[in-house]
Amino acid sequence: MTKYSMAVDLDRCQGCRACMTACKIENNTVQSNFWMYVFRFEEGAFPETEMSFLPRPCQHCDNAPCAKVCPVGARFKREDGIVLTDADRCIGCRYCELACPYGVNYYNWQKPEKGQYDVVDWHDENIQTATGGAIPPYRNPDLDGLYGEEQRRTAGGGHAKGIIEKCTFCVHRVEKGQLPSCVDTCPTDALVFGDIDDAESPISLYLRGRSSWQLLEEAGTKPNVYYIGGKPPNKELKEIERPKVTV
Amino acid sequence: MAVETRIDAELPQGVGRLSTGWKVFILAALAVLGFGVFAYWYESSNGMSVTSLRSTGTMGGATWGLYVVMVEYFIGVSLAGVVIASVSRVFRIVELRPIVRIAELLTVASLMVGLLAVIIDLGQPIRGIKNMLLYARPQSAFFGTLTLVAGGVFMTALAYLFLGGRRDAARLAGIPSRLQWFHRLWASGYTDSVEERERHRRVMFWLSVGIVPLIVVALSTEGLVFGVQVGRPGWFGSLQGPDFLVLAAASGLANLVVLSAIVRRSLGDWNRLDADVFKWLGRFLLVASAAALYFMVVELFTLLYATPSNERQLADSLLKGPYAWIFWLSIGLMILGLMLLISQAATAKWRIGTLVVASVAISTAALAERYLTVIPSQTHASLLPYETGSYFPTWVEFAVVAGLFALGALLIGLFMKAFPIIPIRDDIIPTPDEEVEATANA
Ligand code: SF4
Ligand code: SF4
Repeated sequence: MTKYSMAVDLDRCQGCRACMTACKIENNTVQSNFWMYVFRFEEGAFPETEMSFLPRPCQHCDNAPCAKVCPVGARFKREDGIVLTDADRCIGCRYCELACPYGVNYYNWQKPEKGQYDVVDWHDENIQTATGGAIPPYRNPDLDGLYGEEQRRTAGGGHAKGIIEKCTFCVHRVEKGQLPSCVDTCPTDALVFGDIDDAESPISLYLRGRSSWQLLEEAGTKPNVYYIGGKPPNKELKEIERPKVTV
Repeated sequence: MAVETRIDAELPQGVGRLSTGWKVFILAALAVLGFGVFAYWYESSNGMSVTSLRSTGTMGGATWGLYVVMVEYFIGVSLAGVVIASVSRVFRIVELRPIVRIAELLTVASLMVGLLAVIIDLGQPIRGIKNMLLYARPQSAFFGTLTLVAGGVFMTALAYLFLGGRRDAARLAGIPSRLQWFHRLWASGYTDSVEERERHRRVMFWLSVGIVPLIVVALSTEGLVFGVQVGRPGWFGSLQGPDFLVLAAASGLANLVVLSAIVRRSLGDWNRLDADVFKWLGRFLLVASAAALYFMVVELFTLLYATPSNERQLADSLLKGPYAWIFWLSIGLMILGLMLLISQAATAKWRIGTLVVASVAISTAALAERYLTVIPSQTHASLLPYETGSYFPTWVEFAVVAGLFALGALLIGLFMKAFPIIPIRDDIIPTPDEEVEATANA
């Protein structure tokens, strides 16, 4: 059976955050929502300091606590392993966000078009004229599609106010046979994606012979993102900076 | 008999007569409620970004805030009312009978506003109601909370209120007044025959017996909304359920004391709440708050020994960090309340004023405890090394919550003018001795 997973090679990651940018462009996520986030850590005391990076997408857990707590089944795990949110069913209770130990869920605190990314007004006539109505706002039409056997609106669904969203492994691309946008964009090929149940898939081949670890394995969530190299984060690590933008 | 003449002459307990004091109270409650509605409208049209709530993780916020704290608090308060009502029925504690209806009303009102707070906290409230009906999942503690608490306790409390009031309603239905239609509706054909009274007694008894386990399950589930979260230090643990229950008992009883004291004052001549009632409530409150303080102290010790990890960070935020003032305030208030109760119990002199002060202290401590359960684990206990966050409610959240309190007060205030809040006839078939005693008291 298909089981989509991701490998993150920390020995290759250079912390450039191109994956974060690619995710934002692909999924049109709003200001301060980072479906893919790359931690930039500093450890030790000057001059013995060390930097490290840790890309953090949704872990698409096999034992996903977020799906367990959802009161209406809006958060669910598909047969192929992808954990998704049904934008039409989510009631905005944010219980999944609290259940997830990885902090990957983002709630839409206001209408996305309200001053997000300092775009004055997405519907401003001048902007529309200057850009031929295309960019900004560019809106990926695939996000509104219906996906999977369930035919549910799970690719982000246009980021409506009052619902939750998170990384979808770019389900709209995967269903077309493409790679998630972050994987496609990474300049150092630090991200590898594929069906881990298929022994000949890129991810299976990449992981073969390499030792890997999973994030917060002890939480029992059975994550489907495998990290190679580096080391699991601990409380001694300090984030170099926190995203400044907020809603 | 004196009581008969009085009832025949006019509706008892000021029912149907709108005094100036009552009008002022209702206007004030309406004003606060109106402001709350305005704040909620403002929030709905602008998005929840007008609150202090923000996502956890990179946004460094608390995604559940004051609204969820109030859900926990109000649903907790609802516990005491219905338990006191059942205890007085099952164990036939005559002294508690006068406050049985106040207790049931407190349960109904606090459950209503508690459930309203759940809806208010949703990003999609209308869809929330619809989807909870269409797709509710029994595996979710949220579902457990909503269905058990709402379905079970709310319906039982309503049934209590309705059945327990039918004898009085039947009496009032015979008195011509503007409210006669309402009393007739409530009585719904009840004539107070011996068979009816016996049937009522049996139903009420079994309702009383059945509701206690239901409440224990329902409120433990409410605690487990947090207790089953592996991903959030400070939440995961089997003690969340019992802890929730004990604090609920303390805060519920405290509110019942305050409400009973207000009713006592406002009823004037019609007052039937004597010192005995408050003595009983005081004793119950003493036991419940002692248990609550015990849980708080256990929590304090656990925090002091927290290992240098996420728990340590959480502990520091509570003991000496941004939440320390709330933490120590809650412990201080709980101790103060308990000391006042102990001093009264020791001297066997229960003064209503002192009891009210103790109750306000205990209720505030319980509210603070709820705040500390919900918030710090979100801002200061991430398993991944996100920076710590912060949360303090905005005026919108305070206004909405004030509106919820006002709505609860309004419900109780309106009820008092439509129906006697103290039973004029006990709902349990009185023994001949009790009947004589009741008449003499009246
Ligand atoms: S990482 Fe979080 S949101 Fe993603 S599947 Fe696991 S628990 Fe759910
Ligand atoms: S926010 Fe939406 S997806 Fe998350 S638990 Fe609530 S209803 Fe489910």
